[in-house]
Amino acid sequence: MFMGLAAEKYDRQYSDRQLLRRMAAYFAPYRGRLIRLACIILSITAIGLVSPLLIARGIDLVGAQPHVGAIVALCAGLLALSVINWVCNLARRRMTVRLIADVIGQMRNDAFRATIHHDMAFFDEFQSGKVIARITNDTQELSQVTVLISDLISQFTILIVLVGVLLTISWPLTLALLAMAPVVVFFGWAFRRVARMVTRSGFRAIAEVNSAIQEAVAGIRVAKTFRQEQAIYDRFKQINRRSYEVNLRRGFVLSNVFPTLNAMAGLGTAVMTYVGGLAAIGGTVSVGAWYLFIISLEQFWFPMTNIASFWSQIQGGLSACERIFALIDAESSVTQIQADASDHVPNARSSAPHSRLKGEIEFKGVHFRYNEQQQVLRDFSLRIAPGESVALVGHTGAGKSSIIKLITRFYEFQGGQILIDGRDIRTFDLTEYRRQLGLVSQSPFLFNDTVMNNIRYARPDLSDDMVEAVARRIGDGEWVAALPNGLWTQVGERGQHLSMGQRQLVALARVLAQRPAIFILDEATASVDPFTEKQIQAALNLILADSTSILIAHRLSTVKSVDRIIVLDRGRIIEEGDHATLMLRGGHYATLYDTYFRHQSADFNAGMYQKLKA
Amino acid sequence: MPPSSVTSEFSVERQWRSDRRSPGRWVFSHLWRYKVYILGILIGALGNAGGAAVMPLLVGQAFNAVVAQPPDTAALGLVVVLIVLSQIVRAVLQLGRNFSSEIIGQRIERDARDELYTSLIGKSMSFHDRQSIGDIMARATNDVREVNLLMNPGVNLVVGSAAFLLFPLVIGPRIHPQLVAVPLFYVAAYAVAVAYYLRKLAPATERVRRAFGQMNATLAESIEGIETVKGAAQENREIARFRGVVDAWRAAAVGQGDVESLYLPSLIFGMTMALGLLHSLLLYHAGAISVGDVVAYNGVLMFLQFPTFATQFAYPQVSSGLASARRILELMNAETSLDENKGGYAGAMRGDVTFDRVTFRYGEDERPALQDVTISVKAGQTVAIVGQTGAGKSTLTKMINRIYDVDAGCVCVDGVDVRDWDLDALRRQISTIEQDVFLFSRTIAENIKFGCPDATQAEIEQAAKAAQAHEFILSFKDGYNTIVGERGVTLSGGQRQRIAIARAFLADPRILILDDSTSAIDSATEDLIQRAMFRVAQGRTTFLITHRLSQIRWADLIVVLKQGRVVACGSHEELMRTSKDYRAIFAGDDERPKKSASLSPLSPPDWPREARRMPEVERGE
Repeated sequence: MFMGLAAEKYDRQYSDRQLLRRMAAYFAPYRGRLIRLACIILSITAIGLVSPLLIARGIDLVGAQPHVGAIVALCAGLLALSVINWVCNLARRRMTVRLIADVIGQMRNDAFRATIHHDMAFFDEFQSGKVIARITNDTQELSQVTVLISDLISQFTILIVLVGVLLTISWPLTLALLAMAPVVVFFGWAFRRVARMVTRSGFRAIAEVNSAIQEAVAGIRVAKTFRQEQAIYDRFKQINRRSYEVNLRRGFVLSNVFPTLNAMAGLGTAVMTYVGGLAAIGGTVSVGAWYLFIISLEQFWFPMTNIASFWSQIQGGLSACERIFALIDAESSVTQIQADASDHVPNARSSAPHSRLKGEIEFKGVHFRYNEQQQVLRDFSLRIAPGESVALVGHTGAGKSSIIKLITRFYEFQGGQILIDGRDIRTFDLTEYRRQLGLVSQSPFLFNDTVMNNIRYARPDLSDDMVEAVARRIGDGEWVAALPNGLWTQVGERGQHLSMGQRQLVALARVLAQRPAIFILDEATASVDPFTEKQIQAALNLILADSTSILIAHRLSTVKSVDRIIVLDRGRIIEEGDHATLMLRGGHYATLYDTYFRHQSADFNAGMYQKLKA
Repeated sequence: MPPSSVTSEFSVERQWRSDRRSPGRWVFSHLWRYKVYILGILIGALGNAGGAAVMPLLVGQAFNAVVAQPPDTAALGLVVVLIVLSQIVRAVLQLGRNFSSEIIGQRIERDARDELYTSLIGKSMSFHDRQSIGDIMARATNDVREVNLLMNPGVNLVVGSAAFLLFPLVIGPRIHPQLVAVPLFYVAAYAVAVAYYLRKLAPATERVRRAFGQMNATLAESIEGIETVKGAAQENREIARFRGVVDAWRAAAVGQGDVESLYLPSLIFGMTMALGLLHSLLLYHAGAISVGDVVAYNGVLMFLQFPTFATQFAYPQVSSGLASARRILELMNAETSLDENKGGYAGAMRGDVTFDRVTFRYGEDERPALQDVTISVKAGQTVAIVGQTGAGKSTLTKMINRIYDVDAGCVCVDGVDVRDWDLDALRRQISTIEQDVFLFSRTIAENIKFGCPDATQAEIEQAAKAAQAHEFILSFKDGYNTIVGERGVTLSGGQRQRIAIARAFLADPRILILDDSTSAIDSATEDLIQRAMFRVAQGRTTFLITHRLSQIRWADLIVVLKQGRVVACGSHEELMRTSKDYRAIFAGDDERPKKSASLSPLSPPDWPREARRMPEVERGE
């Protein structure tokens, strides 16, 4: 319930004036509609005012022994007014819903566009769930609050005009009416506080129940194989009972609102009846005016209680607004510069690479850190020849993934130079540059679509036949045959219908279809079945032959198949060469091999099994 | 009430039973258990409306007192006192109504959740595999809550506002017989208008709900796959896609707004007020009623405002509550194929397992996950099952403890068909270690003794030692009392696996199924895991789904599956001789064509020639 409400680092404080100005900018294109809407609201206000006056007039007529014609005219007027009122409300409603849908839709599009252009550092740091909540839920909340505010405004317009009219009729009675306002507002405010407390504990209890259910459903297989259904049921039952008790208490507290308000309104009516009655007897007001005051009570109470109870909702709307703008305004650290201009022009459109890159990569004295405390690369230099394949190995934190993040330009570096085909990486048009990069991350992401469309994600122009040709190149397409519907298999959300190994194969096929100049792989650590592993290796070999490749290697067969292994330690290169040479040397790589790769060979622990079996 | 026809693997004894034939009956059968409180609601609602209706009558009396010649001040004072008293009584009755409905609402929520939960844990695994956890959670949380809201404020408001409809009908004719006409007009017109409104509203609301869900899903996909999006430079496509779903949402939201704006009851109410004033003034003109009567009557008509506006809110709440009830029922009434088979064979298990021409498919139209599988395993043997993902490895093991039942052929344990075993006895003697080891958010000790709640601390530690888990457990500050999961420490795959192995040691099953595809990140851990697995397999029939080459090599029996069929079966040496598929795994490791170091990176070996043809393919020539 409170998800997404916690502050994030990119959150900032906007003054109310700033917020309003930006909101106003969203409404500005619809100035014409706003004016029309305001006119309609004013007519509704006028009608809301005239009707009780007419009724009061009717009561006064009673004393004056009127003509039937006057009575009929009066009521016909009232009838016409109610029809006009209804039509105006209909128009208001239709206009409001369109206006708000347009504004909120625009805001969502803006928020999404801004978000998708944030650099990867942003997404690494902030949970996607919370970002999503801002784009959908916060905007939704804002739209509800906008409706609320527009309702409140029209109610208050009526109220203020009504009070003005009442003042001209009888100021003592009006003052008696106004004296009740603070009482109502105070009650609303005090009640809000209590309600909030019980509501919180209610939500907490519900959250506990939900996590109990979630755990039971997720762990159902374990419970079944051990026949522990009764145990988890008993546990649930206890939590469920507690939630019932807490929420019943909350319900009881909330149940008090309307009875209390009604009782207070009753007292108000009693006061008004008595005071007004005495005034009518004394002749200071007419009987009709007295009646007008009594029925005005209703219109008076309603907005008063509303403002008290909606206050926190309006506050909530403003902070939702603030969260959305903060998301849009979050600053990107990656900036591209003009190729030929020496001065830095942030976000300028840089020139595109003219043709296919050769794929030469050079780091020249690069400094890189994620934050002030964490210097990852210091004066780092490395050259990778076009077409070469390089495996990065080393312990966690050695700087392997940092190198990849810099080549993909997901992160900004702080010093030195990175050259691609001899050209500064900062001068490329990012879109054009990334078209020439093939990237497969540790847990490859698949879109909820067919395998076919996932393979051509980076190359939407490929025909079905071409995609099929690409897929067939990997291990004679045997992996496609294993899919229930071949290339037309739906992969499900995040690819969950496929195994990890199959997801990797699809991701590799995607790169194969893309034919990038530079291939970057952060190899999955989870093992796959030996058959699939064979096919992954086949796919990998095809790509390695075609592109400059940088791999963070976790599999034995990968380190064995690259041209050069680079051993990293705390951001420095401490050893390089191919597998055989480095093993012979018996240095750092040999130690790493013993720690991370040895167990992947078929003969691992052969001795143990033989001994234990004997 | 009829017993539910759905079979179940689990049931609890209850005094009550709900009627699951339709959403309406189901909600009603729950409501009916709390008859007393329903009475409370009715009394409260009538009292509240009565209290409200008395007010204009009293105000009318006040008018009569004021316009009387001479004005009757004492009567005015009495009326005011009566107003205060009546409103206090009214508030108390209204409170009683609210409390009653609150109690019913909360109890229904509690009971419905309990019923759903029991039903869920009683469902077979084939059901749980089919249903996504997210979907089940949505029904168990939001939908159950909606059923509460259906009662309160839903039904509570419906009953409450219905009482307000009643009073003008009753009081009007008491003032003058003719005055029944206008309230009657209102009630009739109102009923038709509300029915029309609801019929229009339901599909519009549903469209908004779906559009919003679609928008959320699209957004989630783009954000979660952001690395892929950026890596493939497809930002603009995602922006366009998102704009498409936002437009769809806008259209749906506007559609709902248009339906809501055409709310006829408020027009009817306005007309009623005008007609009521006309009627009463004409009657007064004819001398049939007094000034006080005019005031009282118009005051009573004002109370129609409450049903007019409450309905806009209450009926959609009721209908969305019924829709939720339908979704809950769908889940509870879903067929599940297995039952507990109490009274079946329940002997001590030796551990012989045979598959005899077993065929199984997950869905009617799907191709068989297992086809004609025949295997024979002697008690105590270790069987390695190898094959590509989707070859049917896990499915095969799930036939043994009846997570699924075969479609054709049979699986026998100790010569007895598993379907003739008592489900409890069968599962008690078979342990499974899943691919993703699931741990409950409890202490490590509780997780280890999950299958044997009575195990002592010494037994737990002994199991943990055998599973090579003791040392890492002690490395935590709280040792065996360390809480794992969301609220505690996060364990690595290898650690979870060893806890599951410890669990299996304690349970001491005759048959062990080890579905193992997590690999240790380093060789030392790998060594620990392999030792633990080897030890736990001793003395039991073990089915091992493994990616570990060294384990495959040393199994007593290796079964190679390919698209649901057994393509090879035998020991490592036999298979190396006879199976091409099998040889492909083990032979390749040393024979892989390596790129020679002297080879220039720009002159690729033979196979990429195919790659060089690619550009032509892409141009479509």
